[in-house]
Amino acid sequence: MGEVIVITSGKGGVGKTTTTANLGAGLASLGKKVVLVDTDIGLRNLDVVMGLENRIVYDLVDVVEGRCRLKQALIKDKRLESLYLLPANQTRDKSAINRQQMIKLTEQLREDYDFVLIDCPAGIEGGFKNAVAGAEQALVVTTPEVAAVRDADRIIGLLEADDVEALRLIINRLRPDMVRKGDMMDIEDIMEILAIDLLGVVPEDEYIVVSTNRGEPAVLGGHSKAGQAYHNISRRLLGEEVPFLNWETGNGIMARLKRLIGLG
Amino acid sequence: MFSSIEDQNRAGAPQNMLPLAAGSRLNKGKPTYLICRTVRSGQRFEYPGNAVVMGDIHPGGEVVASGHVIVMGTLKGVVHAGAEGDENAVVLAFRLQPIQLRIAGYITRAPDNEGDFDSGEPEIARVQDEAIIIDKYHPGTEKRWLTKSLKQEEVEQNG
Ligand SMILES: Nc1ncnc2c1ncn2[C@@H]1O[C@H](COP(=O)(O)OP(=O)(O)OP(=O)(O)O)[C@@H](O)[C@H]1O
Ligand SMILES: [Mg+2]
Repeated sequence: MGEVIVITSGKGGVGKTTTTANLGAGLASLGKKVVLVDTDIGLRNLDVVMGLENRIVYDLVDVVEGRCRLKQALIKDKRLESLYLLPANQTRDKSAINRQQMIKLTEQLREDYDFVLIDCPAGIEGGFKNAVAGAEQALVVTTPEVAAVRDADRIIGLLEADDVEALRLIINRLRPDMVRKGDMMDIEDIMEILAIDLLGVVPEDEYIVVSTNRGEPAVLGGHSKAGQAYHNISRRLLGEEVPFLNWETGNGIMARLKRLIGLG
Repeated sequence: MFSSIEDQNRAGAPQNMLPLAAGSRLNKGKPTYLICRTVRSGQRFEYPGNAVVMGDIHPGGEVVASGHVIVMGTLKGVVHAGAEGDENAVVLAFRLQPIQLRIAGYITRAPDNEGDFDSGEPEIARVQDEAIIIDKYHPGTEKRWLTKSLKQEEVEQNG
């Protein structure tokens, strides 16, 4: 039985889709069988970020409405053998599916895959509720900004109320230079507010823009810092203890961070 | 398969969409629909006949028709012509750069990792030898393809 993990944030545009694509590719490149489910119905993006848009014939809504079999709608990645995508429908809206259908779908998927990663839409309404319905774990993505952290806090409360058990945090778009100057919230500030385990930190990295436009997850190509961070997060998802990199934290707070995440 | 047209077009298409005279030369017995707008991401139009798009089809936009589809602008989204199985249906576009193209039961897709390839001229896509092929459009030759369904229907009718 595979793990069902929802990637969510509350606030829009903080990196849920980027994270889903990169962790999917990261886990698959580490030999796991992974399926990505895009639940952002009406505003699908994951297919574009994965460079798979031209292969879509059926989608999530077709599956739940019985227009095709699940296997027909799953798109195999063009680079990785064990990575699949179930795309969202682009012409309907969030009410096209319901919680029961998502639960049934994730139950079915977890029988065949080691990881089912669900890309959640922004917001706390129906689309969010559907996306988390079948998940037993959540990765909460935030950026080091007060508004994003506030929304992440709200989401964490809703997830706890919804019995999603393992909640872990990913801080995206951190700029160590700004943190050093005191112009950006640092990891410790964020951890203090949110009080959940930290799974990883992804720096602001121009390469994300390049890779997104190319439809190639950063974790696969080259040696970008963001790609490296996603690789490390993928390994942590597999239970490995991967130390945090220097640039992730700045040397000074390494010790405190270790204490916070229980590695020290 | 066209029962949900109204439903899908709630966004307010009907006023932009004029069915031309039924039984036009293009495809006997099938009306031709005129879409006077840009088809944007997330928009999908379905027609029980031919469709002429007086604009562009953006990536993520979709036009499905049981007959031919003609795009006066740039086709970057998805078009399905002959959606009810007519393998003689064609897709003609001023600039043909679809993410994916379907004619009857055949599918072809844009090559990976190539940005927008612009041939710089109008092109026509049709089914030949069990595959979708794309040709340069020579003015005049369209008659051969556009009236093919019509001729075949006549042959069938006349025995
Ligand atoms: N670490 C990063 N460095 C630089 N740019 C990034 C980084 N992470 C994400 N971005 C950029 O931020 C934008 C939003 O990212 P993404 O689409 O993944 O967010 P999202 O949370 O899925 O958004 P939505 O709420 O709309 O679904 C994208 O343009 C992406 O390229
Ligand atoms: Mg997204």
